[in-house]
Amino acid sequence: MTLVKNVTCPICGTLCDDLEVEVEENSIVDVRNACAIGEAKFLNFTDPKHRNLKPLVRKGGELTEVSLDEAVERSAQILAHAQYPILYGWSCTSCQAIRVGIELAEEVGGVIDNTSTVCHGPSILSIQSVGIPTCTLGQVRHRADLVVYWASDPYSAHPRHIERYTSFSDGRFQESEWEHYVTRLRGVLGKKRLSRASARISMREVSIPPIADPKLPPEFETEKRKLIVVDVRKTRSAEIADFFIQVEPNRDFELLQALRLLVKDEELEVDKVAGVPVDLLEEFADILISCNFGIFFFGVGLTMSSGKHRNIDAAIALTKDLNYRTKFAIMPMRGHFNVAGANIVSTWQTGYPFAVDFSHGYPRYNPGETSAVDILQRDESDASLIIASDPVSNFPRNAAQNLVKNPMITIDPVVSPTTMMADVVIPSAFVGIEVEGTAYRMDCVPLPMKKIVEPPKICLPDEEILRRILLQVRQIRQTGGKA
Amino acid sequence: MIVKLHLKKEIHVPVDAESISPDVFAGKLVEEIAELPLWKGNRKVPLKDVFGVEGISGKVTNELVIHIDGNLSKVQRIGSGMTDGEIRIAGDVGMHLGVEMKGGKITVEGNVGSWLGSSMKGGTIEVNKDAGDYIGAPYRGSTEGMRGGTITIHGNAGTEAGRYMKKGLIRIDGDVDQFVGIHLKKGAILVRGNADGRAGAFMTGGKIIICGHLKSLLPTFTIDSMKSKAKVEEEIIKEPFYLFIGDLAEHGSGKLYLAKNKNKHLETHEKLLQ
Amino acid sequence: MKELLIKNGFVYDPLNKIDGETMDIAVRDGKIVEEVKKGKTIDASGMVVMPGGVDIHSHIAGAKVNSGRLLRPEDHYKDVELKTVLTRSGVGYSIPSTFTTGYRYSRMGWTTVMEPAMPPLKAKHTHEELNDTPMVDKGAYPLLGSNWFVLEYLRAKMYGECAAFVAWMMNATKGYAIKLVNPGGLEAWGFGRNVRDIDDPVPNFDITPREIIQGLCKVNQILNLPHTIHVHINNLGKPGNYVTTLETMRCVENLATDNKPIMHLTHCQFSAFAGEDWRTFKSASEEIAEYVNSHSHVTLDMGQIVFTNTTTMTADGPFQFTLYQITGNKWVNNDVETETSSGIVPFQYKRKNYVHATQWTIGLELALQIKDPWKILLTTDHPNAGPFTAYPKVITWLMSRKARDDVMKKVNKKTRRKAPLSAIDREYSLYEIAIATRAGQAKALGLESKGHLGVGADADISVYNLDPKKTNLADNPEAITKAFKKAAYTIKDGEIVVRDGEVVNSVNGRTYWVKVETQANLFEIEPELKRAFEKYYTVKYENYLVPQNFSAHQTPVTAKARIKS
Ligand code: SF4
Ligand SMILES: [Zn+2]
Repeated sequence: MTLVKNVTCPICGTLCDDLEVEVEENSIVDVRNACAIGEAKFLNFTDPKHRNLKPLVRKGGELTEVSLDEAVERSAQILAHAQYPILYGWSCTSCQAIRVGIELAEEVGGVIDNTSTVCHGPSILSIQSVGIPTCTLGQVRHRADLVVYWASDPYSAHPRHIERYTSFSDGRFQESEWEHYVTRLRGVLGKKRLSRASARISMREVSIPPIADPKLPPEFETEKRKLIVVDVRKTRSAEIADFFIQVEPNRDFELLQALRLLVKDEELEVDKVAGVPVDLLEEFADILISCNFGIFFFGVGLTMSSGKHRNIDAAIALTKDLNYRTKFAIMPMRGHFNVAGANIVSTWQTGYPFAVDFSHGYPRYNPGETSAVDILQRDESDASLIIASDPVSNFPRNAAQNLVKNPMITIDPVVSPTTMMADVVIPSAFVGIEVEGTAYRMDCVPLPMKKIVEPPKICLPDEEILRRILLQVRQIRQTGGKA
Repeated sequence: MIVKLHLKKEIHVPVDAESISPDVFAGKLVEEIAELPLWKGNRKVPLKDVFGVEGISGKVTNELVIHIDGNLSKVQRIGSGMTDGEIRIAGDVGMHLGVEMKGGKITVEGNVGSWLGSSMKGGTIEVNKDAGDYIGAPYRGSTEGMRGGTITIHGNAGTEAGRYMKKGLIRIDGDVDQFVGIHLKKGAILVRGNADGRAGAFMTGGKIIICGHLKSLLPTFTIDSMKSKAKVEEEIIKEPFYLFIGDLAEHGSGKLYLAKNKNKHLETHEKLLQ
Repeated sequence: MKELLIKNGFVYDPLNKIDGETMDIAVRDGKIVEEVKKGKTIDASGMVVMPGGVDIHSHIAGAKVNSGRLLRPEDHYKDVELKTVLTRSGVGYSIPSTFTTGYRYSRMGWTTVMEPAMPPLKAKHTHEELNDTPMVDKGAYPLLGSNWFVLEYLRAKMYGECAAFVAWMMNATKGYAIKLVNPGGLEAWGFGRNVRDIDDPVPNFDITPREIIQGLCKVNQILNLPHTIHVHINNLGKPGNYVTTLETMRCVENLATDNKPIMHLTHCQFSAFAGEDWRTFKSASEEIAEYVNSHSHVTLDMGQIVFTNTTTMTADGPFQFTLYQITGNKWVNNDVETETSSGIVPFQYKRKNYVHATQWTIGLELALQIKDPWKILLTTDHPNAGPFTAYPKVITWLMSRKARDDVMKKVNKKTRRKAPLSAIDREYSLYEIAIATRAGQAKALGLESKGHLGVGADADISVYNLDPKKTNLADNPEAITKAFKKAAYTIKDGEIVVRDGEVVNSVNGRTYWVKVETQANLFEIEPELKRAFEKYYTVKYENYLVPQNFSAHQTPVTAKARIKS
């Protein structure tokens, strides 16, 4: 039995790099330090029910097992003859694979787009219009005395974020709020138990009283690190926060703009913004101004609700305004473990972070036009390669329909609705478990992904598969496309 | 002098037709025009592969009329950077029509895609039906909005019409989506229909007139006065308007005119004027 | 065996004191040799032959540069590079994509480029990009001037330990030189503050910038690193900052031994400002030049302004914030835990703007008033003062008073009236240009096989289509610009990689890093330190390290440290 230490978790953008994995005869028997999601991944990834273990090519309507060479050859044929292929996915693979992916996209004159197109693409558009004051997560751990999660629920989506980087982490200038929290939690649990008990007795719903009334709790007088959650509903994270502000759905933009006025010491002419009383907003603005180091973490709740990147424009503008008063930063809560890496590699090779169109022989960029979903909605593409992602389930319906009606190649370790609809399925190895590589954390810190166990023989690394396809494409080109 | 183009058959992958412009056609024979390059997806093809070409071309740009028909909704960049002459499009047309246009005229009988007249500097564009998002707006990252010219949409328009506009006029007879006049610096936008909200976000100057209903007013606008009419260029709209100033979050002094009769929800602001 | 002969060129090789003699240069297997028998011949008659260009300070790769690329799609749209059979596609302008960066340097005849600001925590990022930057040899300087370990060791005056730490850092990040940016100020910026001058203590750390500069200078000496400490001063970009610049140079004066440089003061143009505020702002080039002319312990580079739309990017977070306040342009700030910060702001240098025009004169005044060309090297602090593609222009300004006068006619009137530049006649010779762009750069970097054409040197050579015998260059500035824009030939490690300004062969280039030979790894002997490390950083010690062969073509240069441990 061996214990592999300092393992980076290939699940979410928190990219915890302190996991310890126990391996016995090439199989993982135990995982330490991971959250439940991370642990489940390490322990269950080999489940053959979900695993692609055969190269497949659709023949006469049926996916049929073929040799890997044949699957690669077929992929190359599809791409070499396509006039506007899309190469999509990239956020769950290594930077090394993404590099080759971009080269392939360039070679075939295609569009390469990553999943940020459907999550934090708006955040990027926003950075391109106003910039961003941000930092690495250690700055938050050491310095932040105010942490605001806005339209993001780390408790569910990035379970170790709070413990590793924010309120419950221990920094040079900021102590962990852990104990403070435990005391408060006991209170809440007590209340919950009580209400459950009373529900059982009276057989009717008893609502749990909110932890924070729409009035500032007395703790705010103290110098302690504060945690605030702004969201449309009371999430798990909101429950552990010192203070929760509930905003009407799709009204974040108004709330953010109003705050911008308030932090400039100007007045509002209305008494409520986005359902929040102005008095309360004024207090919130005071908290923002009076911290020594504050940070906003925002999630797809902000990027994908009405207003999209303009919500982020407002949030970043607010952060910039706050820097005239104190130190303030803002950071998107990136989802997939290497979605940040997909943006980063794409940017250094092409100048643009996603939605890059090589059809004219050089990189062009215009999300809305060159982004995968938009191309598909206009039904302009004639072939696709999908790597480590599941657009058939995640894309808007008409986009998914137009995707599957043209030849589609998938490279994926797992079976998904997308691989089932594909014309070519190439099984691959898991990055971070079966293959090594680099990934970038949500704050763009690069971390090594480890190879812990050997992949099944037929499952090659993405990088290798892509390279083989690229080579084949070049051969087809040189021979003048023998089809 | 009229050059007539017609789309030979339905197209699947997008066609980049930057070379369809009076400036490019001028001084060329029809046979030469037929050989001009287009991008069809990732293939460079001669114009004649996609379009049938007939008519007589002219020597000078301003005598040239280009007439195009067929379903052009996947044909982009027609009239890019044109300085003079005229383009008439009989049906629908794709994105980036008249981008960076400097002069001349484009008319569209049908609908038009996004980025119509992006960063245009002069000339006129008239669209009979609907337009997509980002009318006159610059591309990602840029703040070089519309610098002149007139765009008229007889139907509805998408989001962010007139972003970063510095000069010129956009007229929309129908309704507009969110963020009309976002980052407006100068120039005017007239909306005869309703607006979906967030009008004038981040605006620092210029004028937006909305004759219909505005779904919600941003909290960063302050009421200035009541007006009995609003004016754009030669046109006077005689009906009572609220005049708001904003966007205060940007220290802006843009003018937002909202028709009083269609915006009862703004009545509460009136008391601030007393 | 691969041989090449460059025949009959006018050779400029200042390190070997060759000043335009007509000579043959022989190459075998990537090195300069005495003579060759067969192989390819390049007829360089009527052309200038120089060692390949070397750039000591150019922001080409890493987290900050890439954020700049991401921030500015509008910078790229109209400046594109098409894919060819040999080359990858890409975009410019002020922050080109990696492949494009390599090709563009090579087309001008440059063969070595140093990235001067690598946040150690993100060193892997820098190296991944350098690995994708073809055609040139590279290296990167880790930012150490606000690193907590460094500050703590130096506060305790533990120079030996600090040296051991820095040695570890060079190995851990695969770094080439010690970089200080606004020493101490970046730590203060972590809470939105800054330091006022070199004696203003860093909040929470009880150490002054002066102590940091002196301390790291000593460390550099102990470690015997090939380059000196590389310093971006406190108060950069502020009127009146020349005082800080003088103090910064003075503060290490008595650490110097045997007349050797011990400090490189980078993009000095931004640090030679007089005046109280932007209204009274003026050039302090004379004060700086006077000091440099009478001392030999510093080298400088210009940071020459060109009038264009560019992107400013430095590790100096507070300075970038000021630029954001001045311009209102979009702004990126990115603070890196325990180490550094960074900022980015797009910027337009305008001829008619008094400050910008004066900045343009300051850079040139420095280069023309500092007598010894080995002391001031040509840079634009790419892309801060302008993109590196403007080097041909800068060379022309240095070589031709006429070219300078042509610009002077078009700049702000007040600048024209006041600038000392108007009175300067000096014109660089090709020999001096070869020093400022090659020999001096390589020497300052301690790259012994670069910057010259002596036997044994790397066969990195550029040939320019310029005949100093036939044309009076100073009177024909266009000829200079034209020649340096497109090298007739660029030869990298003995291979012809560029012909007539076009890439004909794509090569990778190495990444140099300094392998400091110490007796033991500091962290291996001090387990306590590892624990401290994991408190300071949010990544594990092991995951921080850049592995030995992290990217292809990493090439260690060894330095023998004098650490007793
Ligand atoms: S928080 Fe994310 S990265 Fe960390 S262990 Fe859980 S799933 Fe993995
Ligand atoms: Zn610099």
